[in-house]
Amino acid sequence: MNDANAKPAAARRGRKGRVLEVWRRLKRNRLAMAGLAILAVLFLTALLADLVAPFPSDKQDLENTFSFPSRAHLFGTDEFGRDILSRVIHGSRISLSVGFLAVGFSVVIGGAIGAVAGFYGKRIDNVLMRFMDVLMSIPQILLAISIVAALGPGLWNLMIAVGISSIPGYARIVRASVLSIKDREYIEAARAAGSGDARIIFRHIVPNCLAPIIVQSTLGVATAILTAAGLSFIGLGIQPPTPEWGAMLSGGRGYIRDYWYMTLFPGLAIVFTILGLNVLGDGLRDALDPRLKSSR
Amino acid sequence: MRVRMLRAMALAAAALLFVPGAQAAKAKDVLSVATAYDARSLDPVATNDVASSNVMCEIYENLVQLNDKGEVVPMLAESFKQLDATTYEFKLRKGIKFHNGEEMKASDVKFSLVRAAKAPAVSHIAGDIDVDSFKTPDAYTVSFKLKNPATGFLGGLVLSAGNIVSEKAVTAAGESYAMNPVGTGPFKFVSWAKGNMIELERFEGYHGAKPKFRKMVLKVIPEPTNRMIELESGGVDIAYELSANDLKRALSDPDLQVLRVIDNSTAYLGFNTQKKPFDDVRVRQAISYALNTKTIVETAWRGIGKLAAGPIAPNVNYSDPSLKPHEYNVAKAKALLAEAGFPSGFKTTIWTNEKKERVDMATIMQSQLKEVGIEVEIKVMEWGAYLTGMNAGEHNMYIVGWTCQSPDPDLAVYAPFHSSKKGAGGNYAFFSNPKVDELIMKARTMKDGPERKKAYFDLQKLIIAEAPWVFLMNGEQVVGARKGVRGFKPSVFGFHYKANTYFE
Amino acid sequence: MIKYVFRRVLLLIPVILGVTFIVFTMLALTPGDPARLVLGESATDEAVAGLRSQMGLDRPFLTRYADYLGDLVLRGDIGKSYVTKRPVAKEILSCLPSTLKLALSSMLVAMAIGIPIGIVSAVKQYSLFDSATMVFALVGISMPVFWFGLLLILLFAVRLRWLPASGYSSLRQMILPAIALGAQSVSVLARMTRSSMLEVVRQDYIATIRAKGQRELVVILDHGLRNALIPIITVLGLQFGGLLGGAVLTESIFSIPGVGRLLVDSIKMRDYPVVQGGVLFIAIAFSLVNLAVDLLYAYVDPRIKSQYK
Repeated sequence: MNDANAKPAAARRGRKGRVLEVWRRLKRNRLAMAGLAILAVLFLTALLADLVAPFPSDKQDLENTFSFPSRAHLFGTDEFGRDILSRVIHGSRISLSVGFLAVGFSVVIGGAIGAVAGFYGKRIDNVLMRFMDVLMSIPQILLAISIVAALGPGLWNLMIAVGISSIPGYARIVRASVLSIKDREYIEAARAAGSGDARIIFRHIVPNCLAPIIVQSTLGVATAILTAAGLSFIGLGIQPPTPEWGAMLSGGRGYIRDYWYMTLFPGLAIVFTILGLNVLGDGLRDALDPRLKSSR
Repeated sequence: MRVRMLRAMALAAAALLFVPGAQAAKAKDVLSVATAYDARSLDPVATNDVASSNVMCEIYENLVQLNDKGEVVPMLAESFKQLDATTYEFKLRKGIKFHNGEEMKASDVKFSLVRAAKAPAVSHIAGDIDVDSFKTPDAYTVSFKLKNPATGFLGGLVLSAGNIVSEKAVTAAGESYAMNPVGTGPFKFVSWAKGNMIELERFEGYHGAKPKFRKMVLKVIPEPTNRMIELESGGVDIAYELSANDLKRALSDPDLQVLRVIDNSTAYLGFNTQKKPFDDVRVRQAISYALNTKTIVETAWRGIGKLAAGPIAPNVNYSDPSLKPHEYNVAKAKALLAEAGFPSGFKTTIWTNEKKERVDMATIMQSQLKEVGIEVEIKVMEWGAYLTGMNAGEHNMYIVGWTCQSPDPDLAVYAPFHSSKKGAGGNYAFFSNPKVDELIMKARTMKDGPERKKAYFDLQKLIIAEAPWVFLMNGEQVVGARKGVRGFKPSVFGFHYKANTYFE
Repeated sequence: MIKYVFRRVLLLIPVILGVTFIVFTMLALTPGDPARLVLGESATDEAVAGLRSQMGLDRPFLTRYADYLGDLVLRGDIGKSYVTKRPVAKEILSCLPSTLKLALSSMLVAMAIGIPIGIVSAVKQYSLFDSATMVFALVGISMPVFWFGLLLILLFAVRLRWLPASGYSSLRQMILPAIALGAQSVSVLARMTRSSMLEVVRQDYIATIRAKGQRELVVILDHGLRNALIPIITVLGLQFGGLLGGAVLTESIFSIPGVGRLLVDSIKMRDYPVVQGGVLFIAIAFSLVNLAVDLLYAYVDPRIKSQYK
């Protein structure tokens, strides 16, 4: 907004300054920083899962099932005698992948649709956005079941099933943001200087809508992880023995009265991840919103 | 002002929430049962699923029924006889009333059976009836022919496909009959809230012993944990399909009892015998040897069910009791694999649907097969896609179950193993063996007796040797009940008669 | 005003066309044979083929779609369930009461918790209190609802025996499901209330009112909240509209026969007419709720009314 009338070069310089400014504001938000810390730990765990986890995630020990948390198995063992701690650790990789891939998928597709709709306008806009409306009114769970049934189970298909319903949301954000700057002078200038459509979209329009997209997708990752857990509940999650948190939670629900630790730990992992993503998303929103700048 | 309004609203809401709800005063003349699934239809020829039969068996009755020994005996019929290989004659009991007050006549029986014979949902049970052969010489005599001899036919008539309906009621209701069933059974239909509950009421004009309670409520509670919680809290008197954990809990709860019976279902790991490498019997046998089914079943089912030994479940006629579950022998498995040209194993997939115990079994199999070098990927399929994929022969190994819906063994072997039923017909293994075909066809028309017994025993041994399936387990009906519940006996078919139940 | 409503309702037509077409295509592309699923694995091949042609599934895709639209437009008929043979409209209507109850009661819970949290944390922005309440608001949405529901059941129905574990007929039975589902909306609502209040509170006229010596509570609730209501109503509307589509996880955990379970059961059985009808219902309901929200704006803020010509 503040660089609306600036020349492109100036806009870039301004942008760098803005990122620093946002970071400064974010740093002051203790809650958001806590969220960031949680996520950093999670990413490290996911990266180093093989080193950190005491056991392989699918190592069965049928003599030692449902064992109570002990020194050998800090979080206990599950119905196959697998170490729950190791599964939670390895699960971070899967759950984060599902979350981020699903959001990446919907941001790319939704963003492209929104950009095209906003940029070309008129009939294309109308057709695309009506299509988005329609997509939005089909319940997510139905889309997901159809996709999993049609494409078969698997991480990538699960990601599509989880991501497809959020496409319209991103399309709308990008479209709105495109519309808000499309007729600005610097765009006209770039066009006059001979920039093609693609160049204009990537150089000028994409950076402009990054802020709302970042906020939305931070929260989106949280939603995606929860949706994947929900799909596990109706039996359409990831294939076993992959240790996805939602699948562990849903698979352990039958044992919840006798062996509470089977669901408690993957459950807490989800809770902390979602909390972290949400407070970070809220913090980013506050930090990125120029209207709140003067509030302190 | 707005503040005051908000405050008033909050107070009102709080008041509403904490008024204790109307606890149904339980004078014990209501039997509440928690089931896992809702019925699909209450029209006996529209469906053959267990959940629907569980309701219909209280509303309707059949010409014949099974006695405690599993023999077919008269019910609505006074007597019946088989006139020749394909002709049956039934003498009906007089004075039996439908819930709409009409008397049951030969015309109703003819109407019901013709209807069943034409209905696609039950054609595997009643489809053999020749619809043009009916004779009703008087109001209480019916005779008809089968298109071909089938010894198992009478046994099939005890199922809901053989329910006798009131011709008048069916014709009057038209397409809405499924929601307005009328039979001769001890209970008549009152209401059906889809996905929630079905209410039945004692039929005061019932011809037999009247039930000791006035009302039956069948509640649909899909989550096993919740069924157990409802049972513990007394919200229901009987709960179907307890999970292994809840079974233990129920056994140790002084207020509860557990009623159980091994049912007619067989869960198995099948091979697509048309596909390499499963077209080689040695590979199939090797996998059988490589799997420790005892561990698999015990880990996944934890005390429920019985290790399966062959294709015919133990409570079905002519099941060979001398069969033993197959041997677990990794060395033999490796030797057979090497002989078949896979000394270091191969990669393949196991399909299963989302049923937790099946997924669990697949998970253990995956780790056991690794021991002999076979790398398995588990594919948890959505049921509709699973069936379509199997019909098209896209699967490699697969876990499903097969239920023999009649006391006669024909239904246990014909569809799953006869070569004419490959793919869509139930033979998902695409199994084809001329000797097996011949035995199946011969045994299904033979008169009951030692010869038929020998034929089925031979057939079972042959199928086991050919190993199109690895037999896993025979299912078990595990029903929990409150302590005072008496007279309830679970059935091998998975739907249970509740009219004889009483409270103590 | 009436003209505006009329125009909005007319806008439903393209949505209906789009939704029915997409769902039709989606179902056609989803593997699975309705006839086989209805008849079960034991049914013969011939029987299945027979039923399939009875269902009209052997006709080309476009013919089926055209027929469906024809029945829908000319006779308002959306077909019969493949499974129960009952009219689809009846199937949906029978699930509606429980879905409405669940949606309303959970919105009530969300409002009762979310709005006060939002107000308080706006007034005390950046305080410890702000952080603590916002985290509390997030707890509900951070737990997978089926797990949260199960924990509620274990605590309140099994351990304390205060409330029943399943059902939906009485108010007592609705408490746990309403909390489980309502908790999902608390954070959205709190967040919206907070930011919307933040904006209003900063306006000059609030300072003026404050300067006049009004009590702080009155300032915030009567003047602040009132003007912050529009975005809150929008969020409420969106959430409520979403809930009309059912909440299959909550419904499953608490054994409530709602629209969500109907839809999921129907797509599992490939009960095409019910899936189509259900999605159609959801799309229309969602649009109508949005319209209602827009009309509510006019009521809350008379300035907007003049825009509806």
